[in-house]
Amino acid sequence: MKRQTHLILALVVVLTMPLLMHSGSLASEVLIYGLAAMGCNLLLGFTGLLSFGQGIFFGLGSYTLALTLTRWPLPMPLALILATVMGALGAAIVGWVVIRQKGTYFVMLTLAFAQMFYFIAYTATGLTGGDNGLMDIPRPSITALGRTLWPLTSPWQFYGFVAAIFMAAFWLLLKVSRSTFGRTLLAVRDNEERAAAIGYNLKLLKLQAFVISGAVTGLAGALHAMMTGIAPLSNAEYHTSEMILVMTVIGGTGNLFASVLGSAFYLLLADWLSTLWPRWLLLLGLVLIAISLWMQRGLWGLGETLWSLVRGKRTRATDKAIEKLVVAASPSGGNGEQA
Amino acid sequence: MNIYLLQVINGIGIGMLYFLLAVGLSIVFGLLRFVNFAHGAFYLLGAYFCYQMTRWGMSFWLALVVVPLAVGAVGWLTEKLILRHVYATAHEFHILVTVGLALAVQELVILQWGPLGDSVTVPAMLQGVVIWGSFVYPIYRLFVIGFTAVLAVLLWYVLEGTRLGSAVRAGSESTEMVSLLGINVFRIFSLVFGLGAATAALAGVLAAPIRGAEPFMGIEALGVAFVVVVVGGMGSFSGALLGGLLIGIVQSVMSTLWPEGARLMIYIAMAAVLLLRPHGLLGRKE
Amino acid sequence: MSTPILLEAIGIKKYYGKFAALGGVDLKVRANTVHSVIGPNGAGKTTLFHMLTGTKTVSAGRIVFDGHDVTHIPDHRRVQRGIARSFQVTSLFLSLSVRENLRLAAQGIAPTRAMNCWHEPEGPRSCAETVASVLARLGLESFASVPAGNLSHGQQRRLEVGMALAARPKAIFLDEPTSGMGIDDLEDMKSFIRSLRDEHTVVLIEHNMNIVMDISDTVTVMQQGRVLAEGLPHEIRSDNRVRAAYLGNMITGGKA
Repeated sequence: MKRQTHLILALVVVLTMPLLMHSGSLASEVLIYGLAAMGCNLLLGFTGLLSFGQGIFFGLGSYTLALTLTRWPLPMPLALILATVMGALGAAIVGWVVIRQKGTYFVMLTLAFAQMFYFIAYTATGLTGGDNGLMDIPRPSITALGRTLWPLTSPWQFYGFVAAIFMAAFWLLLKVSRSTFGRTLLAVRDNEERAAAIGYNLKLLKLQAFVISGAVTGLAGALHAMMTGIAPLSNAEYHTSEMILVMTVIGGTGNLFASVLGSAFYLLLADWLSTLWPRWLLLLGLVLIAISLWMQRGLWGLGETLWSLVRGKRTRATDKAIEKLVVAASPSGGNGEQA
Repeated sequence: MNIYLLQVINGIGIGMLYFLLAVGLSIVFGLLRFVNFAHGAFYLLGAYFCYQMTRWGMSFWLALVVVPLAVGAVGWLTEKLILRHVYATAHEFHILVTVGLALAVQELVILQWGPLGDSVTVPAMLQGVVIWGSFVYPIYRLFVIGFTAVLAVLLWYVLEGTRLGSAVRAGSESTEMVSLLGINVFRIFSLVFGLGAATAALAGVLAAPIRGAEPFMGIEALGVAFVVVVVGGMGSFSGALLGGLLIGIVQSVMSTLWPEGARLMIYIAMAAVLLLRPHGLLGRKE
Repeated sequence: MSTPILLEAIGIKKYYGKFAALGGVDLKVRANTVHSVIGPNGAGKTTLFHMLTGTKTVSAGRIVFDGHDVTHIPDHRRVQRGIARSFQVTSLFLSLSVRENLRLAAQGIAPTRAMNCWHEPEGPRSCAETVASVLARLGLESFASVPAGNLSHGQQRRLEVGMALAARPKAIFLDEPTSGMGIDDLEDMKSFIRSLRDEHTVVLIEHNMNIVMDISDTVTVMQQGRVLAEGLPHEIRSDNRVRAAYLGNMITGGKA
């Protein structure tokens, strides 16, 4: 039942976090950044594109949600959709430009655009609040026909909302990754010259990957703004792009659930360590180095290796145990019983 | 008129520092095909080691010599012990391992010296200003311009005139050929990386009396270094010089016209170059 | 043999800076023939392939395929017109299975389906028939689920050709398909290429003269970016200019 395994794993994470964690906000953050990391992974793990620009789309999502809930008030679901669309649009524009280059030049281009967006956000204080960001973002409850269906006031209530959106997005992304498009992306990642030589339009494929990635990342940014009540400039900063990238790599590129592992690892470590030791980022830097050197498949890869070791041992041990039982059970010592 | 002249000279001063900062990154890229995200960290270490030495009462001049050597050694070790093992992996890990290094160094700096940063006093001999008619300019900044100019000539001589330099230039074309000629390519990699770290550290030492030592100057420097290297051309010494001066002057002049726009402009320039002429102004076409 | 001309290249030039990789090449390839392109190293054979398949753009000249001018059409679009190629240096999707490699190649002729981000490529969308038939022809059925990176060199070279076949092309361009192959594989490859002639037109770069002389209908000899001679295999074998070109190349390193 490999098909549903990842979906079930995601569901397990979503359901067990309330049982194991104290903070609803932290749990929501794990899912929110999990979404962002999945968006990043679609580009990196599936298409082979290392983007330092995810902060652009995250920031766009935050700002759009803030503006559509405070300044030009729209119903909350519509605001979320609009933020997602803005993320997709931003990614379409940026993607259309950066795709023109490959390899190192591509990476540098995403960096340049990330910086440009940051400075534009810094100066367009009318829209973005500049250094202060946008504040006092409300968290409207879900209503229908004037009646409150689902209040989002407490952290765990909000978590339920985020969890539902997360599962829906995860399911959709899973479908995308398994679709014809998703499979073709893998070919682009492996050998894009050959992919072009056998008939595929690389620009279109990469652009579509960017758009989907931007949409998911914009959604994440919007949820983040709703959760914290602010859309700060830091969402558009280099550090955000870096953080999302780090989560993606730590979790493991190449499968979507791994990105949730990455965000959980990063945020739980941050939460746990930052009170103990303010310089916990040092550890994170060392983890990154370790992963680059020895564990390129990330936490997921580590898990896979451990799992196969465990299964290997169990099978051999089980075989031996069965053998012993058979020999002991039959007085004549083996009567055609197949171990 | 005077203000613009001042800004241009300021720009040259900043530009020369940018050149020093970027030349190591550019050469490392040309030879190792490595985008070193830890480059800013060497600049950071340079500034802080200088700060520490002056705190211990040692002379700035001593720091000018010792610090680049020390940080150069750190760079050399880093390549030997860590980076060398990443060359065989996918290219994203080349970048990510240096991101991890940069993060680790930044945190170590904060661990050691605190998060706030501090100033570094200009050495006594270079304090004060030079007055020439209506033109007033800090002596230290003139020193920086002169010193980096001399250094540029020295570096150019090393690259063009020595055997190491020839090996580096040849290696930029083809590492295979170089190793076939019997030169230990890996040893050159470590040396070049160390040299890159040393020049970045030197830029940090020179910058410290101007803007102090502060933990986030590494990231800031990295951004600028990238722009200069891209505009000038990855792998090109003269490109780093031209790019550094250009960016320095543009930034300086813009800061009087439209301060916020200055930073935006240099990144727009970077994107434009990457799109229209990715090998930069003086870089070699791939 | 007076079958119609499927592919015509007129005055093809390719410059890399000041270096003329191709200095004006004319070529006519007839349908359902095996047309070999041979020549010493550096003659420009692979560059010519790049021009004909659209992998790189020409500096000057025209390419007419199946009655249409395809000179400025990029490689990924020429596939839909019936041009497919294999590479001199094996270029596969190493982490993907043999079957998946072939499926991708088969799907390449209808690339809009690759944009479908909802449906999986199963059932009618999986090009199963084409994949199965190519697998059978290559003799790689038992390796269908193996990642391409785990195949032996000879098997990879076969898959390399299979990728071009899967696109059901009118013209199939094979760049040194037998390079690095052992003697056993060679004979199989030779009869394989010969068998392609019925349904396809084969343009072949080869260094193995045994294969070239045995299976070619036409042989074009290139030297230093131009066509030196062209004709039937036995004509080329006895052509003095060709002899001089190869011999000269061995002694003087390129200048006859």
